Amino acid sequence: MNEHSQNLLERVKVLDGKSVGKSIPHDSAIGHVTGSAPYIDDLPRRVDELFVGFAGSPFAAGKIVSVELDDAQKVEGVVCVLTHNDVGPHNIFGPLFCDEPFLADGELLYIGQPLVIVAAETQAALAEGINRIVINATASEPVLSVDEAIKQKKFIGPRRQIKCGDPETAINNAPEKLSGTFYIGGQEQFYLESQAAIAFPGEQDQLIVHSSTQNTTEIQTMVAEVLGLSMHQVVCICKRMGGAFGGKETQAVIPALMVSLVAQRTGRAARIVYDKDTDMCVTGKRHAYVCNWEVGFKPDGQIVGLKCDFYSDGGAAADLSTSVMERTLLHADNSYFFEHAQFNGQVCKTNVPPNTAFRGFGGPQAVAATENIIERIAEYLKIDAFDLRLKNTYGQTDRNVTPYGQLFSGNHMSEIMETLAESSNYRHRVAKLPGRNSTDRMNLHGISMTPVKFGISFTTKFLNQANALVNVYTDGTIQVSTGGTEMGQGLNTKIRQLVADEFGVGYSSVIVMPTSTEKNNNTSPTAASAGTDLNGAAAVNGSQIIKKRLADFAAEIFASPEKGLIPSPDHIEFAGGIVSDVRQPGSGIPFSELCNRARLERIDLGARGFYKTPGVDFNRETGKGNPFLYYTQGAAVAEVSIDRFTGELTVPRVDLLMDIGKSINPKVDMGQITGGFIQGMGWVTAECLVYDEKGNLLSHSPTTYKIPAITDVPPEFNCAFFPNDDNLHCVRRSKAVGEPPLLLGVAAWAAVKNALSFLPSDHDPNLSLPATGEEILRCLTEQANG
Amino acid sequence: MRDYILLFVNGKRNRIDGADAFRTVSDFLRGVLNLCGTKIVCSEGDCGSCSVLCGTPDFQNRRFSYKPIDSCIRFVYQLDGCNIVTVEGLADNEVQGGKLNCVQQAMIDCHGSQCGFCTPGFVMAMTGILEDSNSPSENDWRRGLTGNLCRCTGYSPIIEAGLRSDTKSSASMNDCFEPTAMLDAIGNAASQEITVTSNTQTIYSPTTIDQAVQYLVQYPEVKIVAGATDVGVQFNKGNCEAEVWLDLNRVWSMKTVSLTGGAIVAGAGATWSDIEILIENDLPQFHQILTWFGSPQIRNVGTIGGNIVNASPIADSLPLMFVCNAELQLTGGDGTREVNINDFYQGYKKFDLQPGELLSQIRIPLPEDDEELRLYKISRRQDLDISSFTGAIKMKLSGRKIRSAVIAYGAVGPVVLRLPKTESFLAGKELNEETMVAAGEIVVSEIKPITDVRGGDEYRLQLARNVLLKFLHEVRPEGALA
Ligand SMILES: Cc1cc2nc3c(=O)[nH]c(=O)nc-3n(C[C@H](O)[C@H](O)[C@H](O)COP(=O)(O)OP(=O)(O)OC[C@H]3O[C@@H](n4cnc5c(N)ncnc54)[C@H](O)[C@@H]3O)c2cc1C
Ligand code: FES
Ligand code: FES
Repeated sequence: MNEHSQNLLERVKVLDGKSVGKSIPHDSAIGHVTGSAPYIDDLPRRVDELFVGFAGSPFAAGKIVSVELDDAQKVEGVVCVLTHNDVGPHNIFGPLFCDEPFLADGELLYIGQPLVIVAAETQAALAEGINRIVINATASEPVLSVDEAIKQKKFIGPRRQIKCGDPETAINNAPEKLSGTFYIGGQEQFYLESQAAIAFPGEQDQLIVHSSTQNTTEIQTMVAEVLGLSMHQVVCICKRMGGAFGGKETQAVIPALMVSLVAQRTGRAARIVYDKDTDMCVTGKRHAYVCNWEVGFKPDGQIVGLKCDFYSDGGAAADLSTSVMERTLLHADNSYFFEHAQFNGQVCKTNVPPNTAFRGFGGPQAVAATENIIERIAEYLKIDAFDLRLKNTYGQTDRNVTPYGQLFSGNHMSEIMETLAESSNYRHRVAKLPGRNSTDRMNLHGISMTPVKFGISFTTKFLNQANALVNVYTDGTIQVSTGGTEMGQGLNTKIRQLVADEFGVGYSSVIVMPTSTEKNNNTSPTAASAGTDLNGAAAVNGSQIIKKRLADFAAEIFASPEKGLIPSPDHIEFAGGIVSDVRQPGSGIPFSELCNRARLERIDLGARGFYKTPGVDFNRETGKGNPFLYYTQGAAVAEVSIDRFTGELTVPRVDLLMDIGKSINPKVDMGQITGGFIQGMGWVTAECLVYDEKGNLLSHSPTTYKIPAITDVPPEFNCAFFPNDDNLHCVRRSKAVGEPPLLLGVAAWAAVKNALSFLPSDHDPNLSLPATGEEILRCLTEQANG
Repeated sequence: MRDYILLFVNGKRNRIDGADAFRTVSDFLRGVLNLCGTKIVCSEGDCGSCSVLCGTPDFQNRRFSYKPIDSCIRFVYQLDGCNIVTVEGLADNEVQGGKLNCVQQAMIDCHGSQCGFCTPGFVMAMTGILEDSNSPSENDWRRGLTGNLCRCTGYSPIIEAGLRSDTKSSASMNDCFEPTAMLDAIGNAASQEITVTSNTQTIYSPTTIDQAVQYLVQYPEVKIVAGATDVGVQFNKGNCEAEVWLDLNRVWSMKTVSLTGGAIVAGAGATWSDIEILIENDLPQFHQILTWFGSPQIRNVGTIGGNIVNASPIADSLPLMFVCNAELQLTGGDGTREVNINDFYQGYKKFDLQPGELLSQIRIPLPEDDEELRLYKISRRQDLDISSFTGAIKMKLSGRKIRSAVIAYGAVGPVVLRLPKTESFLAGKELNEETMVAAGEIVVSEIKPITDVRGGDEYRLQLARNVLLKFLHEVRPEGALA
C-alpha cells in the first residue's frame, strides 16, 4: 500500500470510528450525578481503621527544641504518635532532588510542616491528641518573598538559560527600549477533594495504598523508600480524584506516607483526609514569579531583542520547581519569533510549602510576562496590540525557529488570530473603545487578544512513556488499565473510545479499571496535558497486539479453499461487534464468539501495550533541543469593564479559538477549554494568596480565597475549535488540551492593562498580576494623581 | 416535651436523640446513614458541595417547601419535622423509580461533571431551582447557583445543563416524597417543645417567644442558634463550644416579615430569602445587596437577627439599618425594650443585649420619597463573598443642595461607623464633585481601617473617598459630567 492510500484508509477509519469523535458522556457521569462514585473519604470504613492527622510547625523558620508527646499518648483512643524518630534513615524525599523531610527534623521550613503524626480510634480522639502535643521551638526570621530570597541569595538548583542571537547588542542598538519588573502572584489549585489516602497492611510486609494522586508510581516509590520497603511490596491504587490540576502530582506523597507509616507500625488500616484549611495551608501552589525585563523594538512595533530574568518562589524544597522553571523558559517566546532573546531562570528558596505543579506548569507565568511586555510596547507606541502581536508572530517558512532551536512546524498561529479577530469582531469593537471610554463616567473598558502556543511532551525525556494492560474476556468485553489517572479530565472516557474502536465493539464493551501499580508499573504522572497522548497510544498499541492475534486466527476461520480464498489477516475487519473477512460480504461472527473460540485454541487474549514519544529531546545545560512533539495553539479575546470608583472588574465577553487537532471527544475537550480558561481568568483577576508577616497563609479556605463563581463566567462566552487534522504525531490526530486553555486567561489581564491605558495620564502604574479590584484601584488612583 | 428530633431523610423517618442530634446534617448523613453522595469540602458554607434540599412542613397547604441548604453548617436539631432530600434520593424514590431526574440527565448529556466532586451539590441546588420555577432563564440559573463552586468545568456546561433540563420529564419533590404520611407522622409533635441532651450538650427548641425567653432567663449563658450560618461555621472551625443551645427555628412568630407603615417589620428569625422577595420593589437598593449576600443556600436559612447579633463590622445589612435608623426590639423576662441600631453597638462584637434578652423584631423605616439612598458592597468576588468594604449613603436633596446627609461605612473600624463630621460638612453644601472630594478627606479622618485578608488599609481609605464620588455620579449623572 502506498503512503497516500494508507493515509486515506486512516482517514476513513477515523470517519467510520464508532466511538472516537463522539461526545460520549464522562466515564463516571452517572456515578457523579447520583453521588455513587466514591472518593477516598467515601470508601466504607474497615472495623480496625484508624483516623490519622498531624501536628505541624508553628513557625515558618526556626529550630525544634523539643516535642512533648506524653499527653497526647495518654488520650483515650489515641493509638500511636509518631515523629521523624519513627521513620528510619530515609526521612527525606523529593521527585527531582531528595531535599524534603517527610516529618520535620531539627529545622522548621514552613508553617504547618508535618511534625508529629497521630492515629486514633475516633475523629474526636484524634483532634484531642493533636491538641495535646506540645512543640517547643525557636523561631527565626523567615524568607517570605522572592525579593527577599534574591537579596539573601537563597536559591534552589542552578540558574538556567535559554538564549538565541545577541540580545545585549540588539537591545542596545534598538531605536526604542523599555524595561521593568513584573510581579506575578501564585495560585491555589483548589481541587475540591482535599489530599487523602488510605493504607491497608498486607502479608509479607506489603502495603496497599489508595491515594488521591496523579502519580501512582511516585507514591509507590516514595512509600517504599521512606519506609524501607522494596517497591514490589507497595501497591498504589487510584480510582479517581476530585480534581487535581497538578496539585496531586507530587504533593499526594506526604499524606500517603503518613497513613503508610501508621499502617506499617500498627498493622491496621489507616486513613487521612485533610480538611480544606489544612490542605491550603500546607500544600504547594502555583509559583509566584518576579520577572525583570528589557526589550528593544522598532517604531513599527517589531521586537528586535528581549531579555527576561525570571525568579520563582520555589518554597521550602525543590519539589518540581526546576522543571516548572524550565517550562517557563521554554514558553517565554509565547507565539512570537525573537531573533535575539535571553531567558534566565532561577528558583528561589523561601519559607512557604514547596510550590509545585499547577496546570500550565510555569508556562502561564512566562506567557503573562511576555504579554505584559507586548501591552507595554503597544501602549508606548500608541498602536493596537493586536497588530503588534501579528507583526511578531512566528512565520511559516522563515522566522520559525524557537529560541531553543526547535522548528515550529504545524504553525497555525496567524490563521487562528486572524480568524478569531474576524469572528469576535475585534477590530470594530476596539475602534469603539476610545469613544466609549470618553463618554462612560462610571466604567472603563478594555479589550485584548492573547495567543498561546503550548509545547506538548514532558521536558524530562524519560517521562514520555506509558504502558497499558489490555484484557479481553471470552464474552467479548474488555478491561483496560493504564498508568493514567482520572481527575475529571475524561482520560478514561477517551481510552474507552479508543480501545472500543480498535476492536470494533461498542463503547460499553470496554471498561477502564482503577489505576494501580500492580497492573501498570514504572508509570509517569498524568500531567503535561499528555495523559491521553501517552496512555491512549499505549492502550491502542496493546489492543493492536491482541487484534493481530485475533485477525490471524479469524483469517484461518474465514479461509475458504473452495472459493480460492487463502487465509488473509489483512482482510479481517473488526466493526460493529462483528469480525469478518471483507472478501466475503455477509460472512462474519460476533466478536465475542471469536474471543471464546480463540481461548479454546489457546490464543492469548491479554497484552501490554507500550508507547514512547518519538524524537523529543532537550539539553538543559545548553538550553537547546526539540523538547516538544507538537504545539497546541489558540487565542482568546477578552473584554473587561472596570468600575472607575471601586476598581471592581467584570468580564462581559470572551471569545476563544483553540486548535486541538481532531478531537477524540469534543465535549470532553470543550470542558477542558472552558474550565481551563475560567481557572486562568481566576488566576489573573481574582485569586489572591495573602500571608501575614510571620508566614501564615490568611487566605486558606473558600471564605477568603475566591475562585471564580458561576456569575463570573462572561455572559457572552464563545468557545470554538479551530478545524485541523494535520497532527500526525498523536493518537487519532488529536492534540493535548488540558493545560493550554488556562494560559488564555491572560487575555483578561491584558484587557485590564488595555483599559487602564485609556486614562489620560501617561504614567505606567505597572499593573501586577492578579489584577484584583484592589490592585486596579491602586492603578486608577496612581494614574489619577500622577 | 419531647426528647428527640424527628427528621425525614429521603422520605424515611429518623428518630434522633443523644449526640447525633448535635451533629451537623452532613456529618449525620455521611457518618450515621452512610449517605456519602453529599460531599464535604469547606465545612463553612462557601462551596455548596454539601447542598441538600430541605423540605419544611407547610401544614396549611399540606405540603413541604423545598429549598437548598448547606448541610455542613446546619445542625440536626434545627430540622425537626423536615424532610431532607439528598442526591441519593432524587432517582431512588417511588415516583422516579430509579430513573434519573431531569437535572441529573441534563448534567450527563451536557458534560456538566468532570471530577464530579461538586456535582451532587450542583444537582441538588439545580433541582431546588426547578422547585421554584418551571423554566428558569440563564440568569436564574446563574443567580441560583452562586452558592456552588466548581473548579473543573468553568460552569458553562452546567449552565447549559440547567437550560436543557426538561422539567416535564421528572416529578417535583412533593410528588416524589408524598407529604401526607410525613405530615401525619409529625402531627401534634410539631408544637411540642423539645429538649435533647447528650453527655456534654443540651438543646432546647421552643415554639413560642415566651418559652424561649423563659429559658434564657433561666440559663443566661445559653447559646442562641437561628440559621446557624455564623454559629455553624464557628462550631466547625472549633471557635464555638457551647454546652446549652437554644434553637429559634421553630418559633414561627419570629419568622414573619412584612411592609407595614412605611417600614420593613421583620421578626428576628426572618430569613434573608423571605426579606429579599418582599422588598424587591420597595427597596431595590437593598434588594441588590441581598442578591449578593451569601448564596441562596445561606439566605434560605440565615436570618436578619443573626446578622445583627453576630455583630460583624462587615455585616452587609448594617449600613442600611444605620442610615435608616432601624429600631431593634429586645425581649427579656421584664418585657420588650426598643433600641435604635445606632446606639446598639459598643465595640468590637460588644452590644447592648443583656443576659436573658433576645432580639425579637426589627423595624427599618423606608427612605422618604425625597431621599436618595445608595448602598455599596465591595468584595473580592461579587457573589458569595464577605465584604472588603460596605457603605450606605442617604441624602435629602433639594435642587442642587444637600439638605441633610447620613452616611454609614462598614469594614473601616471595629463596628459599623456613622460619619458625623462628614455628615455635618455635607449639610447645606451643593452636591458636586468639589464637595464630594472635600468630604472624602473628612471621611478618611473619621475612620481607621485595618489591613487584613480582604484588603489593605489604603484600599479601604480610597474606597471610602471614592464611594462618595460614585454616589454623586449615580444620583446626578448630568451634573457630574458637566
Ligand atoms: C458562606 C457564608 C456567606 C455569608 N455571606 C454573608 C454576606 O454576604 N454578608 C453578610 O453580612 N453575612 C454573610 N454571612 C454571615 C451570616 O450568614 C449572616 O450574618 C446571617 O445573617 C446570620 O444569621 P443566622 O441566622 O445564620 O445566625 P446564627 O449563626 O444562627 O447566629 C449568629 C449570632 O447571632 C445570635 N443570634 C441569632 N439570632 C438571635 C436572636 N434572635 N437574639 C439574640 N441573638 C441571636 C447567635 O447566638 C449568634 O451569636 C455569610 C455566612 C456564610 C457561612
Ligand atoms: S462543605 Fe462547603 S458549603 Fe458545605
Ligand atoms: S467537576 Fe470538578 S469541581 Fe466541578
